Amino acid sequence: MSAGRHSLCTGWPWTAAAMAVLGFLYAPIVVMVVLSFNTSHVLGLPMEGFTFDWYFRFLGNEDVVESIVNGTLVAVACVVVSIGFGLPAAMALDRFEFPGKAIFRRIVLLPLILPGVTTGVALLNFFVLANVPMSLWTIVTGVGTALIAVAITEIFARLQQIGRSQEEAALNLGATHFEVFLRITLPNIASAVAGAALIAFAIAFDELAATYLLTGRDVTLPMQLWSMIRREVTPEINAIASAVLAVSLVLLVAGMWLSRGAQLRGTRAA
Amino acid sequence: MSAEALAPIPDVRREARNAERRRLLLWLGPPAAWFAVFMLLPHLSLLYVSLGHMDYVDFVPGFSAANYVKIFTVEPYLGVTFKSFNNGLMTAVLASLIAYPLALWMAFGVSSARARALVSVLVILPWLASYMVKAYAWKTILGTQGVVNSLLVSAGVVAEPLETLMYSRFAVILTLTYIFTPFCVISIYAQLERIPPSLIEAARNLGATDLEILRRIVLPISIPGVFAGAVIVFSLAFSDFITSTLVGGPSDLMISSIMINLFGVSMDRPLASAIGFLMLALAAVLLVTMQWVEKRVQVRF
Amino acid sequence: MSLELSGLVKSFRGPHGTQRAVDGVDLVIPRGEFVSMIGSSGCGKTTTLRLIAGLETPDSGSIVHEGREITHVPAARRGLRMMFQDYALFPHMTVGENVAFGLRVRAQRGRHSAAEIDRLVDEHLELVHLPGVRNRRPNELSGGQRQRVALARALVTRPDVLLFDEPLGALDAGLRRAMQFELKRLHAELGKTFIYVTHDQEEALAISDRIAVMHEGRVLQYAPPDEIYFQPTTRYVARFVGSTNLLDGELAGRDGALGAVRLRNGTVVRGLVATGLPDTKVSAMIRADRIDLVAEGPSAMLSGRVRERLFLGTHDEFQVDVDGLDVDLTVHMSRRRDASVAPGVGARVGLRWAEEDVRVLSD
Repeated sequence: MSAGRHSLCTGWPWTAAAMAVLGFLYAPIVVMVVLSFNTSHVLGLPMEGFTFDWYFRFLGNEDVVESIVNGTLVAVACVVVSIGFGLPAAMALDRFEFPGKAIFRRIVLLPLILPGVTTGVALLNFFVLANVPMSLWTIVTGVGTALIAVAITEIFARLQQIGRSQEEAALNLGATHFEVFLRITLPNIASAVAGAALIAFAIAFDELAATYLLTGRDVTLPMQLWSMIRREVTPEINAIASAVLAVSLVLLVAGMWLSRGAQLRGTRAA
Repeated sequence: MSAEALAPIPDVRREARNAERRRLLLWLGPPAAWFAVFMLLPHLSLLYVSLGHMDYVDFVPGFSAANYVKIFTVEPYLGVTFKSFNNGLMTAVLASLIAYPLALWMAFGVSSARARALVSVLVILPWLASYMVKAYAWKTILGTQGVVNSLLVSAGVVAEPLETLMYSRFAVILTLTYIFTPFCVISIYAQLERIPPSLIEAARNLGATDLEILRRIVLPISIPGVFAGAVIVFSLAFSDFITSTLVGGPSDLMISSIMINLFGVSMDRPLASAIGFLMLALAAVLLVTMQWVEKRVQVRF
Repeated sequence: MSLELSGLVKSFRGPHGTQRAVDGVDLVIPRGEFVSMIGSSGCGKTTTLRLIAGLETPDSGSIVHEGREITHVPAARRGLRMMFQDYALFPHMTVGENVAFGLRVRAQRGRHSAAEIDRLVDEHLELVHLPGVRNRRPNELSGGQRQRVALARALVTRPDVLLFDEPLGALDAGLRRAMQFELKRLHAELGKTFIYVTHDQEEALAISDRIAVMHEGRVLQYAPPDEIYFQPTTRYVARFVGSTNLLDGELAGRDGALGAVRLRNGTVVRGLVATGLPDTKVSAMIRADRIDLVAEGPSAMLSGRVRERLFLGTHDEFQVDVDGLDVDLTVHMSRRRDASVAPGVGARVGLRWAEEDVRVLSD
């Protein structure tokens, strides 16, 4: 309807500029993915031939496979932490008034915009002081804490959207608070929770900054990949990086579809 | 109605309030506890350790600002901090500039809501995708055997692969800009989206040309969004160590790398903690300032 | 001299395929008149206004202003100023900057000195009774004040035509009333053409010189308010404007301007035939406030039983279940001082009216 708004930047120069920026965002990734299929051992153009070899090769690499297993475990644990603590926090923020609410909101959303490296350093310092050895679990505390904020924004947005009238109607019809949560609230926010879980998994699966500082003897995929790409550039690394990218893109798209549009609002929530 | 009939009411009310409080505690307790243990305590421990010093391999608590003084007076800390600051600033400015036309086009050039949602997703995806992989992608492009160099060599533009493309400050800032552009797009677009269509129509109706509308209506109103995005990007880029390690040279290390080295190899945890605490403080001060400025500058429709 | 719309068509692609929002609108709006366009939401009134303003481009048809074709002239160069439903004040500018905006755009550059702009802004803020707010921001003003700022902003460039898109929609009833008087006053004072879109028929009746009733993208009737109210040409207009009874039947005979409608129960109702030849299937229209409740008997034209009686302040509303018809008639009666005289629920009553208050309509 509103031709007035959307006709402001429609000419071809605008479209061209926008496409150029979008191209800038995708070209490097595309190049990396394309080169992962190149038969040449040396990374670079031109393409010599098409092959899946590099993918099979990294799947045969025991260290990589072990790190994938570890990484998956850690990511799942991070999802449990992020939803397990993010859902109650979102409920408290949306459905209750309490003293210190503004500060609580600020603190729980802070990790969204705080560098992962400071979170990692703070936790590392804390664990060293407390004599806790680094392990897969310490990674979960670092990455999980940041992801709680992601879960909160997604679920909070949905809670706001559905409002309270359904719950009030159910209470009025004699349901207990527990029943209301289980039979009214939860079904309403289920898809947002699922979306948040997928997005959290995708982020946890390739988070490096906090992971780097909190890793012990067992290594997860991001650390494994990091130790490889620091040293060299090979088609095999391209294959791993492309696979990581593909997995997270699929999860992110699914997650965003489930929680529909909360991201754009969520980014400015803090 | 008699006084007796009214008497129980305060009790009922208190009962209800207590029940409400218990339910709140059920929701609030676990996350509050988690954040206290895994966020507040660690950050406080950062401050605590930063005020002490090391005696060989043992930490000695204390109450001295020596580590903070060191950061601002001793090289390489001062220089590296300054360099990181510069890189953060460059990244914030460049990413905002590159992001702006795309955000504008999304807000004012795409008329179908479905297409707009699609473009939004196309912008968010690279933002949420792996930071490390994005930085690595540039390594495959800029490296000595990378895409750009192999193209240049095979085209005969240069005889030898260009070394300056890779392992340089140029590569670091380019890659950081690449990584943070989507965030700026989202931040600016979120602000532009708030502009009601009628504002544009009213300006047009009053005789303004499209360029005037952009300059006198859209641009001023978009500033809080640009600013908010740029501040967050600055603080995130400032604390980067992944990009500078991957595509930067030895002299391009940023403050986070120094901090990590101090923690691990040098075992100077107090100095590392001081750097960490300063980074946290900088981020906090920036965010509070941003919110304060936004409260004053933000337009209310 | 006037504003002439002819054969305007505008379609939008919606979720259910292409829909014609405006489907062949012809209107001649004489210079200096206050013309309202009314109709329910989606009737095309706002789109028509936006076409006039140049905020939409018509698929076909033309708009001629003062003899000049402006159909494809860009909005910025039409010189027709519009008041928006949400006021559309620029939030980052002061009231003064808002009002001055139209004088400072490039198209006007060099025509006004800074001092002149200052003077014009003050003058127009005074004209809308808002002196002394120039340096405030729009968000510091009340809804009524914003309204006035928007009005001043539209007036300051001295347009010949002002367009209003439901400008009073967001105001409460009291303020609405006051602004209606205000607009009426300004219209009389300035002598400019006002084109006014509203969904509120009472508002349109109160302030307009002429009303266009729209339905499904077409103008059904275009006439002065009293004609629209008392002599609607179609059933839709009759129903939309005011509380109306429509009794369906067949045309039983015609005698000049008079026609007779035979209702389903055999009663023949006489009335004025609307312009144009009605079909055989017609309706007799009688406004609720033109029917009297009388005792049953030969003087009554219809009889029935009171089913419902509502006290509505200025009058009582009766729903009368008419013998032999499956419709209820609505009757409005001014409140007597002694309410017991009025019949109660269940009472048998007769219904009577004057022939000249009946209109015979087709669809």
